[in-house]
Amino acid sequence: MIDFLNIGIQAAIPIMLVTMGGVIAYRAGILHLGLEGLMLIGAFAAVAVTIRTGSVALGVVAAMLVNAVVSLLFWILVDVLRADLYIAGLGLSLTGVGLTSFLLEAIFKTQGAVHAQSGLPSVVGGNRHGLLGLFAGLSVLAWATPVLVFGTWLVLRRTRLGLRVSAVGEYPFAARSAGVNVGAVRCGALVAAGIFCALGGAELALAAINSFGEDMAQGRGYLAVTAVLFGAGHPLGAAVAALFFGLADAVGIESQLSTHHILPVQFILMVPYVLTIVAISISSAIRSRRGAPAVFAELRES
Amino acid sequence: MSADPVATGADDAGALAAPAAVAERPGDSGPAIDCSDVSVLFGEFCALDGVAASFDAGAIHAIVGQNGAGKTTFSRVLSGLIVPDTGSVRVHGHELRGEGVGEARALGVELVHQHFALPPSFTVAEALELFQTDRRRSPFYRRRELESGWSEPLAALGITLDPGARIRDLPVEALQSLEIARALVSDAKVLILDEPTAVLSPPAADALFERLRRLRDEGVTILLVLHKLREVSAAADTVTVLRGGKVVLPRRPLEGVSHDELSNLIVGSTGAEAPLAPALEETPAEVASGAHTLVVRGLTTDAAEGDVALDDVSLTVRAGEIIGVAGVEGNGQRPLVAAIAGMLQGKSGTIELDGRDVTGCSALERRTLGVRAVPFDRNVEGVSSTSAIWENVAILTALKQGRFWINPRRLRAECAAEIDRWQVSYRDVSEPVGSLSGGNVQRVILARELTDGIRVLLAAQPTRGLDVGATRFVRENLRALAQQQAGVLLVSSDLEELFELSDRLLVFYGGRVVAELSPPYDLATVGVAMTGGGK
Amino acid sequence: MISRDTVLRAARSALVVLAAFAIAGVIYQITGYSLGQVFSGTWEGAVSAPGALDSSLRWAVPLLLIALGVTIAFRAGFFNVGAQGQLYAGAIAALLVGVWVKGLPTPIGIVLVVLAGCIGGAIWSLVPGVLRAYLQADEVITTLMMNFIALLLLQWVASGPLKDPAGSGQADQTRSVADHLRLSDATGISLRIVLLAAVATVAVGVLLNRTQFGLRVRVAGRNPTMARWQGVDARHLAVQAFMLSGLLAGLAGAIELLGPGGQLTYGFSPDVGFIGIVIALVGGLRIGGVVIAALFFGGLHAAILYLPIVTNLPSSALDLLNGLVALLITISAVPAIWHRRRRRAAESSALNTDVPRVEVSAAP
Repeated sequence: MIDFLNIGIQAAIPIMLVTMGGVIAYRAGILHLGLEGLMLIGAFAAVAVTIRTGSVALGVVAAMLVNAVVSLLFWILVDVLRADLYIAGLGLSLTGVGLTSFLLEAIFKTQGAVHAQSGLPSVVGGNRHGLLGLFAGLSVLAWATPVLVFGTWLVLRRTRLGLRVSAVGEYPFAARSAGVNVGAVRCGALVAAGIFCALGGAELALAAINSFGEDMAQGRGYLAVTAVLFGAGHPLGAAVAALFFGLADAVGIESQLSTHHILPVQFILMVPYVLTIVAISISSAIRSRRGAPAVFAELRES
Repeated sequence: MSADPVATGADDAGALAAPAAVAERPGDSGPAIDCSDVSVLFGEFCALDGVAASFDAGAIHAIVGQNGAGKTTFSRVLSGLIVPDTGSVRVHGHELRGEGVGEARALGVELVHQHFALPPSFTVAEALELFQTDRRRSPFYRRRELESGWSEPLAALGITLDPGARIRDLPVEALQSLEIARALVSDAKVLILDEPTAVLSPPAADALFERLRRLRDEGVTILLVLHKLREVSAAADTVTVLRGGKVVLPRRPLEGVSHDELSNLIVGSTGAEAPLAPALEETPAEVASGAHTLVVRGLTTDAAEGDVALDDVSLTVRAGEIIGVAGVEGNGQRPLVAAIAGMLQGKSGTIELDGRDVTGCSALERRTLGVRAVPFDRNVEGVSSTSAIWENVAILTALKQGRFWINPRRLRAECAAEIDRWQVSYRDVSEPVGSLSGGNVQRVILARELTDGIRVLLAAQPTRGLDVGATRFVRENLRALAQQQAGVLLVSSDLEELFELSDRLLVFYGGRVVAELSPPYDLATVGVAMTGGGK
Repeated sequence: MISRDTVLRAARSALVVLAAFAIAGVIYQITGYSLGQVFSGTWEGAVSAPGALDSSLRWAVPLLLIALGVTIAFRAGFFNVGAQGQLYAGAIAALLVGVWVKGLPTPIGIVLVVLAGCIGGAIWSLVPGVLRAYLQADEVITTLMMNFIALLLLQWVASGPLKDPAGSGQADQTRSVADHLRLSDATGISLRIVLLAAVATVAVGVLLNRTQFGLRVRVAGRNPTMARWQGVDARHLAVQAFMLSGLLAGLAGAIELLGPGGQLTYGFSPDVGFIGIVIALVGGLRIGGVVIAALFFGGLHAAILYLPIVTNLPSSALDLLNGLVALLITISAVPAIWHRRRRRAAESSALNTDVPRVEVSAAP
């Protein structure tokens, strides 16, 4: 059981980090479908720089920088050039898969995976017994994750900056009336999301397997989107959802190892998506029953 | 434009007073806020055209005009929310550099919006905090701390609001108070209010004016955007009139101008005589005995369409009749039209068309049976701007005929023939309807709606925003339609129009019919009914 | 005559594709691939090499069908991005029926299987469609979720109930449908398939342009508020639009099953759903444009498979290219000055009405 939870937590950490990025963007009014691509780009950058420089720390920093730049470009695309948010987001994800796979082949001459000589240091070593086994092998990033989650919540929900971000996402007209630069806030949110995705990607690649493989995110970025939606943009709620989904992922991994099947594993893996559909439907039904407030104009202006 | 009844004591029947020279008070360092040559263009549309105005400190200035005259745009320019395409704005002599709201707010200008700038999911405290610009001791706060921190300033302003209440749960008057509070809390020196009374009952409006007067006495400059003349007399020291994006009456002390003159300036009619003479002295006998085309009985609905609920509304439109619906916007006109058109389901009541119960019929069925509509907002509800002209016209024919196949070529030809009949000026029926001018768009709508089979037309603000020629065209056609024994339900804010066209006039207030009048119509009676006094 | 609107659309799409090629080309060049080889190899692989045209068509067909469905949904104003899931659902349904009816004679069997594919895709699209129609549930989210569910369903089917007993074990494979039910041989293209695609294209074109349904779609898609005033039943329209787009994606799934492979592999055609959407946009949501775009990108796909013979450009280069097109195709305001004016135009409609503005959707 401890082992299972340990695997679950390790699987959940990257998703949780990416989810935080998704939450920040969501609160600024952006449903970011490019998280998958950003995660892959971050993972690749982290591994590639680690291999080239020998320093994992540099790798992680590089990943954050690269993702920040990519996110800035994405912002230009979506806010300045008015590209459609969803298509561009999905396009970013597709580009992320394509670009990283392409560079993997072009730079490292392999279509499989490339290995880094070292990975993120873990705080508690592997192969521990008892309660410590729960934390075995968790990397520094994993340990930092609860702090990051709490920090995200704190900034988004308990600072004036967070209020501004929420205003931009919910009612840009009010934000502008308060003197908030809507474009700048959205840009900042996207860059922050990119950075979190970089951390998630770095964790994915460098925490345990120390390698980058083609399309290694395997839909985790989209799972993060699902967690964001399921948590309705609330940092803590989304983080819990991400943890939950990560554990479900571990079940998937587990069942490949064991032979106990209560339910086909795929149906368990479907649960996040089905639940999200249900949740969205319920909240839409409630909202339409409540009716849009009459005096609020220009809600969700483009 | 509703020409409101005169507040007791004000003299409106007199001749024009000689325009008083607008003297600056001795000791003024200049106007509190002024602008010159301000123009704002939205795409092709010119919302403000070379506007120059100046407002001196420590007074309440009214800015009046019809809907679409540019009042809201003007208030947004003065507050920095919109950067004008030409011209400049100066606050206490400092010119705004186009950096946005923050710049103006730093100079003490605060804008209270007509549609509140308050995010629905925020609490009162959070909304107030959002607008704060001073430095905090620490960037982080605790929720309870925030709320208690705000309860004091609110109390100091005499506003009883729970700082922890959520915006979306608050009633409209509370939102109004909050919106004003957040402007005052920032120590405004120039307070601009955009149609603050649109959502207030008369007593609440009076309370607001009282508060504004107190602020004025403390030295705050107040700009009030209004469109009700009654309020202008009640609240303001000076008045400025906008029409079609231009200033037609630069700031004038209120004593120097009469209601009639204001009315004329706002609406744009010439001459000092009030042109409110009804066209029909009496209802002609033939129409009175006409068949009942539309009968509404006991219609009650929920609040809808951004408007109030209808409460037990009954009315009858006979063949050949034009029934006018007067009333301040937001008193039930939208649900009324929507319910008769079939887009809104009533909670109770019946609707009959030519004796047949259509209460359960869908919107399409009613249109087929002869209920047609010219919607309130022609560009959003009446046409699809990016669709071709012929598509906009053919949609009715195609839906009515209910056949699976359509022949686009024939539909295009038919459309061209129709709109030619209506003298629409266009290039090609395949061009998007949005390329036409407002008057032409209205003609296209009429061409579509006034086709064979029409039994009753719901005409909602049909001449709003149209020039004089187009307005006359529409009114003539409404009359012609009535003469062909269809019925017309005319909803309008233009009392002149209602008086001229209506065989009978209903006044709506609070979702109810509060008055039913026959010609000749008396402005005072109608006005009183419109503000709820007729109950 | 070619209208100004058509010319503008075509120009815009061409510019975007060129820009994507340019960016991709720079990347290829920097990473050491010879552009000259890439281009000549692409031409060979798409057109001139033996079997190239077949291959191009084979990849164009599913893209075309999906793009047709997406065109209907988008023009009706609905952001149905669930083509991938609908394709899978159609393929699974087709497989189920295909395995079940293997005793039936050829024409009936094929018809049933194809029909099953259409119905499977339609049902898969119906769920988000109904949720949108009656609850206003955001269809981007629901169709996206359905995509993932369908993928997992396929994995289950391929590793469980319909697992290929003779499977190789690398990737999960399903059983095959009987040979006589196949629509083509391993090349994946045949006259039957081309005819099916052509019929579908004409049908959609006629539907959009010569039927009342099409008129309703086109008007309601651009201004749902106005359509409501005209008596258009928005809910019916939503359900119909979603079903049709799902049907076409499901048809593509059935053809993928009955054509190239005869069996399904877990995760087959992973991006054809999204690429199909991109193609619909590149085609300007017009039938003619969509056909051209589908052929073009089908050719590209064929070329990428061929390129390893000529140069060592990896197949992920195509994903990169497609992704770039997707990123750029919805750019709507290039000069910054125009952007400001358009923002103003959007503001103005809100300012000139007295009630909260309702979004007027304009098809891209």
